[in-house]
Order: sequence, then C-alpha cells, then structure tokens
Amino acid sequence: MLEVKNIKKTFGSLTAVDDLEFNIKPGEIMGLIGQNGAGKTTTFRIILNLLTPDNGHVLWNNKYLTTETFNKIGYLPEERGLYPKVTIENQLLYFAQLRGKKKSEIKPLIDHWLEKFDVKGKKTDKVKTLSKGNQQKVQLISTLIHQPELIILDEPFSGLDPVNAELLEDGIREAQANGASIIFSSHNMNNVEELCHSLIMLKDGRPVLNGTVKDIRQQFGRTKLFLESDLSHEDLKQFPGVKQVEKTSDNIDIVYLTDTEDGKLIFNEATKNGYIPTFSQQPPTLEEIFKRMAGENNE
Amino acid sequence: MNKYWVITKEVYKKNIKSFGFIAMVLSPLVLVAVVAGITYYFSQEEQTEPDTQIAVISENETINQIFSSQDWDFQIDDDIKEESEAEEALLDESISGYLTAEVENGTVNAELVYTDDFSDQSSIIQESLSNFQTMLRADELNLGQEDVAKLSEPVTLVEQHVDIEEGSLTEEDFSDTIVQQGSAYFVSIAIMIFIMTYAGIIAEEVANEKGTRIMEIILSSASATNHFFGKLTGVMLVLLTQITIYAVIGFGAYIYFKDADIVQSALNQIDLASILQELLGFTIIFFIAGVLMYVVLAAFFGSLATKMEDVNKAVTPIVFMALIGFYIGIFAFTSPDNTFVEVFSYIPLFTPFVMPFRIAAETVSTLGIWLSIIGTIGFAILISFVSLAFYRSNVLIYSDTNLLGTIKRSWSIMQSNRKARKNNSQ
Repeated sequence: MLEVKNIKKTFGSLTAVDDLEFNIKPGEIMGLIGQNGAGKTTTFRIILNLLTPDNGHVLWNNKYLTTETFNKIGYLPEERGLYPKVTIENQLLYFAQLRGKKKSEIKPLIDHWLEKFDVKGKKTDKVKTLSKGNQQKVQLISTLIHQPELIILDEPFSGLDPVNAELLEDGIREAQANGASIIFSSHNMNNVEELCHSLIMLKDGRPVLNGTVKDIRQQFGRTKLFLESDLSHEDLKQFPGVKQVEKTSDNIDIVYLTDTEDGKLIFNEATKNGYIPTFSQQPPTLEEIFKRMAGENNE
Repeated sequence: MNKYWVITKEVYKKNIKSFGFIAMVLSPLVLVAVVAGITYYFSQEEQTEPDTQIAVISENETINQIFSSQDWDFQIDDDIKEESEAEEALLDESISGYLTAEVENGTVNAELVYTDDFSDQSSIIQESLSNFQTMLRADELNLGQEDVAKLSEPVTLVEQHVDIEEGSLTEEDFSDTIVQQGSAYFVSIAIMIFIMTYAGIIAEEVANEKGTRIMEIILSSASATNHFFGKLTGVMLVLLTQITIYAVIGFGAYIYFKDADIVQSALNQIDLASILQELLGFTIIFFIAGVLMYVVLAAFFGSLATKMEDVNKAVTPIVFMALIGFYIGIFAFTSPDNTFVEVFSYIPLFTPFVMPFRIAAETVSTLGIWLSIIGTIGFAILISFVSLAFYRSNVLIYSDTNLLGTIKRSWSIMQSNRKARKNNSQ
C-alpha cells in the first residue's frame, strides 16, 4: 500500500505541494487531477523519491522508498522518451533490467505485450521508425512489463485515439486485477470517472477534492435536472432555487438548481398531469466540478 | 546484474555500434594511410625517375666515363658536346645545368652552371671530381689503393654533450629531449582530440536522456550515483576500445612492415623503445586524468542542457578551457621556463596540457611532477562528486533560462532537498 502522509514541498517562495495526504491500497486506482502547474508532477516526483518533501513522508508497505522499492515501480513520465536508435526489444529489455529483471525473464514476454497493445512494427525495428502513437505504446509496455506493484502514470491518455485509449484502460485494469496500486493524472475526466476508485484534485498545490468519485459528485448535490415536460422556461424560472435553464438539442430542458431539495417542487408540478418522459436529477459531472473548482477562488 | 553495470554496458554497446564510433576510429587511420601513401609515392617517384638532366662537357675520357657509367640521381644528356649547345639547352630548359671539366697538370678544373632544379646535387659532383683528382695525384706519386685509403681515413671524434646540473657535469642525451618534446606534443594534441570527441559524446548522452525524459525513468529505477558513474565508465570504456584498436593496428603494422626499407630507415632514426617508455610513463597519467576530468565536466554541463539542441552551447565552457590549456601548452613548448607557464602547469584543468612540456624541457623536479599528478587526480575526484551532487537536481530542470540560471535553480533544489532531509532525520 502506498501512503502519502501530509507532504509539503516548497521551492524558495513557491509552494508546489501542501498538505497532501492519501492512501492507495493494492488493487486501487487513484486519479490525480488539476490544472497545469497544480503540483501533479511534483507529487509524482516526491513519491518516486526524486524530490524530498519538506514535511511529511511517503511510505510503501510501511517502509520508506529505497533502491529496493524502485524495482516494484512502473513510471510513465509526462513527456514520452525512448532511445530513437535502439530496437523495441532492446529498449524494453534495458528498462526491465534497470527494474531488476533478468533479460531471460522479459524476453519471452515481449511478443505477447506487443500483440496486446497492438503495436505496429517488429520487435527488431528501431524505435524511431514507429509512429508517435506506437512509440507511446512501447513506452507503456516498458512501464508495465516488469509487473510493477506501484504504477505511476503521468497523463497516460494524452495523444491516444479512442481505440488505443481503450487498450490502455484494459492494461491498467489488468494491472489492477493483479493487485497493483495505481495513480495516474489526466485532463480527461471521462477516463478518471471510468477507471478511478478515488481521486484528488490539486489546486496551487493544495488538495481541493479528495475522496471516492461517487462521494465527491454527491457532495455537490443533485443540482442538475434533465426534464421533459409541459413546463416552459418562464414557468421553470419561477421556482425557488432555479439558477438557470437551458435547452439541449434534443429538446430536453436542463435546470440548474441551488439545492437537491429544490427538485421536489418541480417534480410535483411537472407530473401533476401524470406521465412525463424525462425527470433525471444528477450530481454535476466530474468535468463540471473540475471547471467549477478550477475557476473558484478557494481562499 | 548490478544496475551500474547494466548502464555501463548499455552506454558502451550503443556507442560502439554507432556509425559515429566507426567513423571516429577510422578517420585518423585513413588520414595516416593517405599521408603514408603520398609520402611513399613521392619517395618512389624520386628514386625511379631522376628527371633532371645535365650535360657534361669534357675532353677527358675518364671524366666522361665517370658520369656516363655510374648510376646518378640525374641523367646525362650525351648529345651535347659543346658549351654553346649546353647554354642553349639550359635556356630552353631541356637541361637543368652543365658541367665543364678539364684536367691540367693533375688538377681538375671544373665549372658547374645550374638552375634551382639541380641545386642539391652539386656537392655530389664535387665529391666525385675530388675523388678523381685524388686518384690522379695518387698515380703521380705512385701510391697504391691502400695508401690512398690510409691517407683519406677520417679522425674518430668521440662527442660528449654535457649539462651543468647542481655542480656536476651530467651527460645530456640530446635525442631523449627530442623524443620527450615530441611525445609531449603528441599527448597534448591527443588529449585535445579525445576531449573534444568524448566530452561531446557524454554531454550528448546526458542531454539526450534528459531532453527525452528517459532520465526520469532511469532515476526512478537506479540511483543517480549508479547512473552518473555507469555513464562515465561506459564512455571511458569506449575510449579504451578506441586506443586498443589503434595499439593493435599499430603493432600489426609494425610486424607486417618492419622489414620494408622505408620503415627500416625511419626506425634507425628514432628510438621506438624510448618513445613507448615515454608514452607509458607520466604522459599516460596526464592523458587519462586530463580526459577523465573533462569528460566529468562534460557530463555535468550536459545535464544543464534542456534539449539536445543546447548541448553545443552547454559544452562551450569546456571547449574554451581545453583550448586555453592547449595554447598554454604550445607556449610552454617554446618557453618552458616562463613563470606563467609554471603557474598554469599546477592548475589541474591545464596540467595535462602544460606539464608534459615542462617535463620534456626538464624544468620541473620529480616532486613537482607528483604534486601536479596528485592535484589533477584529486581535482578530478572532487569535480566528480560536485557534478554528481548537481546532476541529481539538474536533470529535473527543464526551464529555458541560461546556464547560470539553471545552475542557480539546481542549487536551490539541492538546498531544499538537503534541508528537507535534515529536517526529516531530526
């Protein structure tokens, strides 16, 4: 289990990460979201022991991270990098050796992994001959092939098309099923919502959201109402707690409420003549929450 | 396998297999081969085709015979019998000179008229004519062959060139100084070439890994120490491989060509053993320490670059240092006693360039040599560890500021990490 305890990191007058605390149990996936410069990469570097926190500490299975622990880590940095003039096979072997694996352990696995991620190219091809997407997949394989127990992925989905993004999701789920603790950052809230058990949103280095995806969404209340009824926009605006009314292209009204309770009055009024096709009161999506939190001044 | 060796092996393998390495090893060999080929061609040319012609005008049969019978480095134009003809031929450049010679009362009177093309042959002609005159006189005096030989036997002169050193006379081995100066010169050029190449290689290695973010993967797999020293070892092994290749080729060429005339005559002029001894002595220590020092610095400066394109900019300070050292070395070649030279020979970064010349000129004591060696090696170790300390934080900085800015930021990250570690341990 990865335990991040109350870490803080400053560079001179800049506070990069502050008061950050979370746990990731084996088989759990955590999403780390936040705008550019919010402190995600610094957090990863602290976990990886590339930076030392001013306060707090990071524990892996109740111990500090050491060179021994390095062998159990799979790390995909934000900007992808491979040796362009080295073959796919040698590349994968080198990184696996640096993770403490023997060549003979990894060599038989390579074909299987290349197939699994549908890499277009032979293992004897030099990396530079591959397309960018395929290079990225090779890098993902190098992150996962040594069966790491702690997987850290910095923006793993950026630049992948939907088909490849799904391959990656499958790969992450497989590692999860094998009991790995996984943390990844993403700008795509759909990925986070689909994969993550819990998430943390950082803003200026501080966590502004922290918990399971469901809880976080619920804590914002079911304030978004999808409605198909006889009520006009003018009617709807008369109800207490209605902030705004919009219409989707499918002729469904979206009513933004101040509070979950505000929906009840509208429900009663809309259904007074019986059946209506749509009444769905939802918490805001992660994306909406993200935008709201990013825009808000939380001081 | 230990991660240090994994890194060393990877660096070594990658570089040895690269086209750049093959080109780097071959280019000096090709150069040597071309120079040797040209030299050989011209020396053959000179021997086989003496294309300068002269005319010999003499009524003495023996003189005519001397010049027509012997094998000279020039040719005799037999058709010219008159001085006026010879003058004409000289004017239209069909001959390079003419000799008129007569014998009068046992004395040879000769006159040689010649152009630049023939200038280095005049002494041979004088010598042959003198010999002829000696024979004439010997005949006159009824002397036999042996008597002539006795008369012309040269005096044996034993030469002893001495130096006055600390109140006593010591024999100066003149050829030794030349050999030492030659090898000092050779070493300073070799250091320069190897520094330029290998500093470039390692700086590129480091900047490349940093620029492509491979560094972050590596430093989360192995310690910075393993990586830094693994890279250094890998590159130094590539260097050793290159030197070994030259040594093997040199030895092979020696075995193969040692019986050839041209090599024989060259070997007679120089003392191969003393050159090798000279090279394997202090010089090789300076060579290794010098290259090592600059390669470490190159790794450090390479880690300051953010992108591959910045590598050249990042290694400029090293190139300047090496150039300064090289020119002070050349200056030391001509004035090894200069105070300026003396001071610079003890500054570690310049020692490998300057000290070999001072040793060659014998202006430094053995103690001084060892002091400079210890200083250089100590400094190499010191900068290795300073570079390593910076390296860890350097590779996390991707800002586009200048070198100084990067060093400053790196320093602040280092301080912040150090402070944090101190706090944590309390």
